[in-house]
Amino acid sequence: MSATPTPPSPPVAGLLEGRVAIITGAGQGVGEGIADSMAQAGASVIIAARRAETGEPVAERIRNEGGNAAFVKCDVTVRADVDNAVDVAIERFGRLDVMVHNAVSPPGVPRPLQEIDDQTILLQIGTSTTASFYCAQAAFPHLKNDYGSLILLTSPAGIEGSGNLPLYGAIKGAQRGLLKSLAREWGPEGVRVNAIAPVAWTPAMDVATAANPTLEARLRGRTPLQRIGDPTADIGPVAVFLASPLSRHMTGQTLAVDGGRYLGL
Amino acid sequence: MVPDPQRRLAGMARRTALIVGADDPADSIASGLADAGWVVLRIDDDDLMWDDHTIAAAFPDLDGLDLVVHARYPAASRRRGALMDLTDDDWRIRADEPFEATIRLARSAHPYLAGSAGTIVFLVPLMASAGGEGFAPMATAAEGARLLAKSLAKTWGHDHIRAHAITLDPSAFLAPDEAAGMAEANSLHDPPLGRVPDLSTEVAPIVNALTTDDFTSLLGASLVVDGGLWMPG
Repeated sequence: MSATPTPPSPPVAGLLEGRVAIITGAGQGVGEGIADSMAQAGASVIIAARRAETGEPVAERIRNEGGNAAFVKCDVTVRADVDNAVDVAIERFGRLDVMVHNAVSPPGVPRPLQEIDDQTILLQIGTSTTASFYCAQAAFPHLKNDYGSLILLTSPAGIEGSGNLPLYGAIKGAQRGLLKSLAREWGPEGVRVNAIAPVAWTPAMDVATAANPTLEARLRGRTPLQRIGDPTADIGPVAVFLASPLSRHMTGQTLAVDGGRYLGL
Repeated sequence: MVPDPQRRLAGMARRTALIVGADDPADSIASGLADAGWVVLRIDDDDLMWDDHTIAAAFPDLDGLDLVVHARYPAASRRRGALMDLTDDDWRIRADEPFEATIRLARSAHPYLAGSAGTIVFLVPLMASAGGEGFAPMATAAEGARLLAKSLAKTWGHDHIRAHAITLDPSAFLAPDEAAGMAEANSLHDPPLGRVPDLSTEVAPIVNALTTDDFTSLLGASLVVDGGLWMPG
């Protein structure tokens, strides 16, 4: 297959000037890409990650590139960790405008539901629905001060289901149930709630393609734009858009950022 | 295993359904299916912690199921509550535990359904896919169930198990005053039929139809059976 034409990254500079964002799971993959883009857009970013060895270098790199960033150790399944991330955002940067919940337990290898153990079920629910609840509650008192935004990272699997990862499809769908109800609940307060369903190169995608050598070609072949998204160049700018006034009349929506692979709407 | 039409038409005139959930819509669907000749089994303790042995413990002699209907939403999850007012325990009881139980139910039902080329149907409130102010936990668990149906359809089709979700008007799950507000928030018009469907005489037959050989090619459907109140794009 010949190289797919790829346009240059969209300019985001200034779109989030003076704003402050927390991004969970920002130590790598899509979370790191969103943190990069938001920093490039002028936001001060909290890199909330479970492991310092992944989160701290991301914060340091953003600072070295001229951005404002701080790392906070955060296991999103622990309420106190999420609350602390919000506290650090206020202490370091004085406000909180955007909460991005991206962290997720890796979905693992494809297997039918009847072969998935209890521990995996609890972990997936904990990092997705419980953690979304924690992030939403911790952030809302600040988000409502100045037209803030909650962004959840879901998946095309949460829209169309997944035969390979049935549990993952269900939990990503559950997050979409939460976001639509919260959009109705928080709309009158001026707080918007949206989701991104990306397909992008992440450490999890690296593992999946290594385990299944034909996966990448199949995925490209079923994607109109014929490439897999880059976390910083393709996914991050959409998060910036959802956090910025450009999307001020959008709430309760899920944007599939997947090169056009899902066209069901 | 390919479904045997003769088995359906002759030897299995009395097919067996397991209805999971208390109150409506479970009660009315159970009633409608019983009227249609089904042997209806119930597990209606919504506070039960579901595990892989729950079905076997309730029905030790059961060797197969033609239909499982999930409509399990604990009373707490059917109560309105602003998200900011919920405690961690509230969230656990209203969202995470019901969702977990849904997943465990499906997992434990697999061997019963696989042996009979059966069907599993998840009944979900409109708030799952359209949102509902004050019902974020219920919507979370229910939308998870709706997407579980799609995922199972993709996986279990190989086992000739069919999985579907049916979205119902909020009045199927909520007290009348709560349901009225929800319908109003989700639609600018009244139901074109002038009413929402009756659960036992109009929804149960659709559940029944989904189990028949006329519908073997329908997999992972998300049907909205609300009299036209909400017509998703």
